[in-house]
Amino acid sequence: MTEKVQKVIPDEYIPEVRSRVVTIDNKDYLLQNDAMFTFYERSMGEFSPFFLAIKDEKKILGCKCPKCGIVRVPPMVTHCPDCNFTPTELVEVEQVGKMNTTPPITYFATSMFLDKAPFGRGRVILNGADTALSVMLYTTTGILVPGLIKKGTEVKVIFGDERIGQITDIYCVPASELTPEQLAKKGLQESELNWEAPKEPEFPEASDEDMAVYKQSLKEMQALAAEMSRSKRARKAIEGWKRDIAVKTKGGEFAMYIDDGDFKIEEKKLKSPDFVMACEDPRTLLDGLMYNGAITDSVIMKRLWISKNLEFNTIFKLDRLARFLAREKKEQAVK
Amino acid sequence: MARKVGIVGAGVTPFRGKWYEKTYYELAQMATREAVQDAAISIKNVDATFYGIYNDIFERAAIPEHPLQGIIGMQNKFGIRISCGGATGAYTLSAAHAYLAGERFKTALVLGVEKATDCFDFLSMSATPEVIKSIGWSGDSFFEQKIGWSASDSYAEIVLGYMDEYPGTLKPEVTAQISSQLSKQVRTNPYAQRQFDQVTPEEVMNSRYIVYPFKELEICVYTEGAAALILAEEETAKAIAKNSGKPIVWITGVGEANEHSFAGKNQKNMSHIVSDYLGSHHAYEMAGIKDPVKAIDIVELHDAFVHQLEISLAEFGLVPYEKVDSLIEEGIMLPGGRLLVNPCGGLIYCGHAVGASNIMSAWSARNELINRNLKTALVHGTGSTISQYTACAIFEHE
Repeated sequence: MTEKVQKVIPDEYIPEVRSRVVTIDNKDYLLQNDAMFTFYERSMGEFSPFFLAIKDEKKILGCKCPKCGIVRVPPMVTHCPDCNFTPTELVEVEQVGKMNTTPPITYFATSMFLDKAPFGRGRVILNGADTALSVMLYTTTGILVPGLIKKGTEVKVIFGDERIGQITDIYCVPASELTPEQLAKKGLQESELNWEAPKEPEFPEASDEDMAVYKQSLKEMQALAAEMSRSKRARKAIEGWKRDIAVKTKGGEFAMYIDDGDFKIEEKKLKSPDFVMACEDPRTLLDGLMYNGAITDSVIMKRLWISKNLEFNTIFKLDRLARFLAREKKEQAVK
Repeated sequence: MARKVGIVGAGVTPFRGKWYEKTYYELAQMATREAVQDAAISIKNVDATFYGIYNDIFERAAIPEHPLQGIIGMQNKFGIRISCGGATGAYTLSAAHAYLAGERFKTALVLGVEKATDCFDFLSMSATPEVIKSIGWSGDSFFEQKIGWSASDSYAEIVLGYMDEYPGTLKPEVTAQISSQLSKQVRTNPYAQRQFDQVTPEEVMNSRYIVYPFKELEICVYTEGAAALILAEEETAKAIAKNSGKPIVWITGVGEANEHSFAGKNQKNMSHIVSDYLGSHHAYEMAGIKDPVKAIDIVELHDAFVHQLEISLAEFGLVPYEKVDSLIEEGIMLPGGRLLVNPCGGLIYCGHAVGASNIMSAWSARNELINRNLKTALVHGTGSTISQYTACAIFEHE
């Protein structure tokens, strides 16, 4: 078996050498695909013991000032800036600690983290340390929602199974999701956790009323989709984007097609969609498309399920589609 | 005794989400042309340039200011670039002030420019994820960049830290009303990116989460544009003003502070923006302001996020920490209230062309002081990770 080679810049990020022209007020302007890139063989210098301890020993190191006693994690300095640069010494700290403040949750990530969102990043003060270590935060129970991890929440460091000596080798989960044995174990690895697998929700059988709601919502969504496809501004929200989405609701199933500005909804079961959306009440999605509450928030609040987290990206585009149409209508009304 | 320094000219380009028609070379020259025209002087009369450009990656060059020296007509003269994250513009103003007050020069051009949205993510076929990735290179490179540090999530840390310490503040209804109020104010700013994007508090509440607790309509937008000021020491300023017929707005105070970039004991307090407290209070001290609540008429502050706007105003001493929502609940920043906050629409509605943003705020504060015949304004810039950097200036209109 050949080993999978990871590239510093994954191939899919790299655009072709190409240019295009945009015309504004009858004048042409040239856009060129381009990149600034620099590769590094970067020394971790004085941080080498910290990263090597994570990689090889599953330990977290800090540095202690013998004069003021502060233990800094990560071991940020070799000499204490608060004590006239007294030399510090490396010490090991515990792998459980408390959140310094309530951590934020990123839903709309940078292009390098689209596949990791939603994720929390916060600062934990590990037992034995005085300063906070920045960590990614996950829950074993599915999507991280606000309120799950707060200031003072106890969390534990988890080590990736394959470690390369980077900060991404570790992250934290709430201590409350672990067994006492897991909590006590030093160097607890990712594969030792019980991760809840994403499961497509099952809906109870639809009543006549549910069917009627489904039919009416579908009709309204189809009308909205037609309006969106006609709106110059709304089309921009899904420019260059193509997705076939299967949408499952209690009352029935339909298909959403996004195709470079065109947006269409049809009552059809897709055999091989790009991804699946499931929401018991189709009005959840209708409200989103009407710009009456964000679809993103419905996913976050678990009113709407998506089969691939990476498709948050498409959800953002649908929210933007709704906003752009609403904005165009409002401007027309003002005029 | 340092010389008095005043603003005698200012200009901005339209702030836009994308300038297909211009590169940053032309944007920089446009703002310069506007500023010298406003001051009714020739560029030949300007002694030195202070460039505010935040991010090399946006401009796709490591010394992005070097081609501008000739393009703006400043060849063979002093030119220095300031880059301090989001606070770049305010720090650039501070640097120019120091050189003039220290009598190195008689006149200076403060020029901020940024072209953010040439960055483009070919995977999502949109600019924003690549813009925030480019800003993402500003985080700590050993421990934080690789775990998804972003400007938004680092400011959200402070906001949540503040809410931990002052529970019940920064209520979603209040932040939504502030955003809505700013969207009304931008209506009279013809240079703004979102001049016609008036939103209701309900629309703000309904907009999607970007980074919890920030919603889409509570966050500044990325912008391309430039802004310029002409500064002069006292005697020169008076001569220029006599010729142009425009009143001088004096810079009577400046203050800056950069905090620790990591949290914990003896390091950054994650529940406050200490840099905002120190920067503003240093500026008050220099300007001789004892009671900012009485003295300040206008605040043009760097509103990267609505929640941070509220915290910054508390750090400036303009509203109590535990009653920060009184900005809306007691009408402090509503029409007829005692404080005019971001009449230009702020960075959320006028736009955030990073290096140019605080200079645009200064342009607005100067215009508002003159046009409304008010006396004192506070101009502010915040930047870097976890709101680490601050620079403030006090403007006074004779």
